[in-house]
Amino acid sequence: MRTGISETLLRWLCGDRTSSAAVPICVALLSTLVSSAALLALGHDPVTAMAAFLRGSGLMPKPSYAGGQSMLTDFMSYLGILAPMMLASLSVIFCLKAGMFNIGVSGQMLAAGFLATALVGYAKLPSGAARPLVVLIGAAVGGLMGAAVGYLKYLFNIHEVVSCIMINHITSYVTGFFIDTRYVDVITRSSRACSASSRLTIAGVRMGGVRAAIPLGILIAITAVFVVRFLMERTTAGFGIKIVGLNRDAARYAGVPVGRSYVFAMSIGGALAGLAGVTYYLGYYNSIVPKALPSLGYDAIAVALLGNLSPPAAVFSSMLVTIFQKGGVYMSSVTGAPREIASVVIALLLLFSACGAYIRERARSALGKRGGG
Amino acid sequence: MASSEYIVEFRGVTKKFPGITANDDISIGIRRGEIFALLGENGAGKSTLMSMLYGMYEPDAGDIFIRGERVALSSPSAATALGIGMVHQHFRLVPSYTIAENIVLGMEPVKKAAELFPYVDIGAASKRIRDLSKTYGLEVDPALRIEQVGVSTQQRVEILKMLYRDAEILIFDEPTSVLTPREIEFLMDVMRGLRESGRTIVLITHKLEEIKSIADRVAVLRRGKLAAILPASASAQEMADLTVGRPVSLSPSSSSLRARFRDVVLQVENLSVRGENGLDAVKGVSFSIRGGEIFAIAGVSGNGQIELADAIAGLVPPCGGRILLNGRNVTSDGVGRRTEAGVSYIPEDRQRYGLVLDFTVAENLAIKKYRRAPYSKSGILNRSAFRTEAEAMIARYDIRASGGAGTIARFMSGGNQQKTIIARELSTDSSLMIFVQPTRGLDVGAIENIHRRMLGERDKGRAILLVSLELDEVMGLADTIGVLYGGRLLKIFPADRTTVGEVGEYMMGAAS
Repeated sequence: MRTGISETLLRWLCGDRTSSAAVPICVALLSTLVSSAALLALGHDPVTAMAAFLRGSGLMPKPSYAGGQSMLTDFMSYLGILAPMMLASLSVIFCLKAGMFNIGVSGQMLAAGFLATALVGYAKLPSGAARPLVVLIGAAVGGLMGAAVGYLKYLFNIHEVVSCIMINHITSYVTGFFIDTRYVDVITRSSRACSASSRLTIAGVRMGGVRAAIPLGILIAITAVFVVRFLMERTTAGFGIKIVGLNRDAARYAGVPVGRSYVFAMSIGGALAGLAGVTYYLGYYNSIVPKALPSLGYDAIAVALLGNLSPPAAVFSSMLVTIFQKGGVYMSSVTGAPREIASVVIALLLLFSACGAYIRERARSALGKRGGG
Repeated sequence: MASSEYIVEFRGVTKKFPGITANDDISIGIRRGEIFALLGENGAGKSTLMSMLYGMYEPDAGDIFIRGERVALSSPSAATALGIGMVHQHFRLVPSYTIAENIVLGMEPVKKAAELFPYVDIGAASKRIRDLSKTYGLEVDPALRIEQVGVSTQQRVEILKMLYRDAEILIFDEPTSVLTPREIEFLMDVMRGLRESGRTIVLITHKLEEIKSIADRVAVLRRGKLAAILPASASAQEMADLTVGRPVSLSPSSSSLRARFRDVVLQVENLSVRGENGLDAVKGVSFSIRGGEIFAIAGVSGNGQIELADAIAGLVPPCGGRILLNGRNVTSDGVGRRTEAGVSYIPEDRQRYGLVLDFTVAENLAIKKYRRAPYSKSGILNRSAFRTEAEAMIARYDIRASGGAGTIARFMSGGNQQKTIIARELSTDSSLMIFVQPTRGLDVGAIENIHRRMLGERDKGRAILLVSLELDEVMGLADTIGVLYGGRLLKIFPADRTTVGEVGEYMMGAAS
């Protein structure tokens, strides 16, 4: 009986269909367990802390709320920061399918957010015109930046990690210079707040007696999941990209245009990062801190890997990581544990997700020893 | 109880994998000090059986006896402790380590400096390795790194690894598939020497001539079952028939139809190609192939064959000369345009070029044509066409894959991977078909199948360029033979006006 259960578990972990869900779940459980142990060691109640993460993200009711707020307020805010996380991780996933490591998500986000703010954020346009323009500019700016990286690799064989990191810093300093000289808010030292009509969040909506901000970005992010999946699974361009990513020599042999695939993959990846940028700077926030690359652009790499590089799974890994990031503040205020526990949990998630292949392999060999079929 | 006549004995061993019985109730006894061959088609279960002996799998049923005692081989280290060693088909070496380091890896002789700091005494190891290599004629320089030495030396390192661990039962998994004819001779001598020294050798192979020349007995496996155990003196024909399960023809008989040449399809003029090392690998080569003609390039490995084939297929740009296909200059066209102009290419390195190993069979069958109907229409893939096309090709080319069109290429046997490539390349209606080493590492049944198809394509009027290191294959199939030596085409003969001896002399460059 006992062997029956463990065998089912093993099978579930390494089965072709189930492992893509089972391994991340196993990873999440392991990280929760280990971080609970860390909380215990620090003298905090892990159950309260874990619940506080969920409460802070609006997934469980808090004991009390400030006036005009409810669980819905927190949940909408959670969705607001979930959207750029999903988009950024999709960007990483798409580029990795072509074998390209897009470490330039941060720079692409910042450039897109900055240009959309500068061009639309301060113009007096009605929301019906401003919001589509922001989205368009975000995708176009990010796409062009990605394409530039792709071209550098195609034409001069410059490794994308090198060019991405350089472009990240150039973007950070150039946008920082313009914010400091032209768009700065003297009190906050950030850029001036963009207009409400250009923001991809409808702020202060009353719903059943509470106020919440409705994030439009989440709609963009969900659409993007379907678009990316469609591009990858159903189009010739996506098929070519996968051949290039899995075996570049075979791609050359089969006559797949390798260089063009790089450019295409990087421009789509860049466009997704650009969308992440506008939903971040003109959605969740409404201003830009100068000379600071958004760490979300790097976290997205982790989220993409946690999601096994599959777009639907990346939705879940984004949700998970965002729970800890978003709920960290509330957890800290409730338990008195340091806020950095959230980073510990995320680090553990990453550590264990990096072992995902190992877990699968262990399950497979354990099954193999028992006789496979 | 177990008769100690045998050093290794399998009794009723069965091993199942999802969807397939790899070994079905196999009983074999191997005598001390003999060379025992295991013969069978790709996927017949030879490697699985030996993997169990080496502790990589455990049998589902049946027992393994070593030196008359029933043993549980739960891991390769358990097997090593019992004196069992294995040379895998794909070597297991660390490229950036030296030969000595690779050999001692896992059982390093540790000494302590100043009675305190442990370090690996590589000097002592090197000395023992030198002694071993002298005793068995396995010359290596222990100080060289694996990445600096060739395939045959790497194989010697694998053999030394077993000897270093005092292995008495040595398993060789298709050891000759990566070697040139001269290296094969050398390996055979080493194996004979090992037998003299009292070791027992199990040789997994497809090649009948190896069994005839070196083995004492042979077990034939067919689809997971033991078909027969024969003395090596049995006829090659009998072994081949048992392997395939029906009578097969061993020599590639030129087809019943006499070759009828048509118009010139491929014209190569004064072609030069630079190799990866920056030197000219192909130097001013000119020849032409007509429709309905098999033009074979003979030569010892590394004389520019691969570079020539790659240049004609469009994978590398030539540094001089012209390539004309059906009268049109295609020299500056890339692979994609040449494929459309009618070039098929079966590359030497199947896993690196020919396949995307993580793709399914259906996807691999489509990688050259996915941008056109029926696979796609205006940029959108038609997944059901992938499946129907693949199913038709699987049936037509007898590709055996446990999961049908959805099988991942990585999990198929080498022979079926090659069949997948051949199915894709032959189903394109190309006017020129390039075959590089198409039967390397395949079993007799698959070889016969591929030879038959090649002749069939020739009879349909296609031009075929065959590059092969096997002189028998060249002599048996070609209508015209060109000998490549040092990057130059030394001589072109009509096949019926030359002999093996003459071609062989040119291959050694003697006649130049």
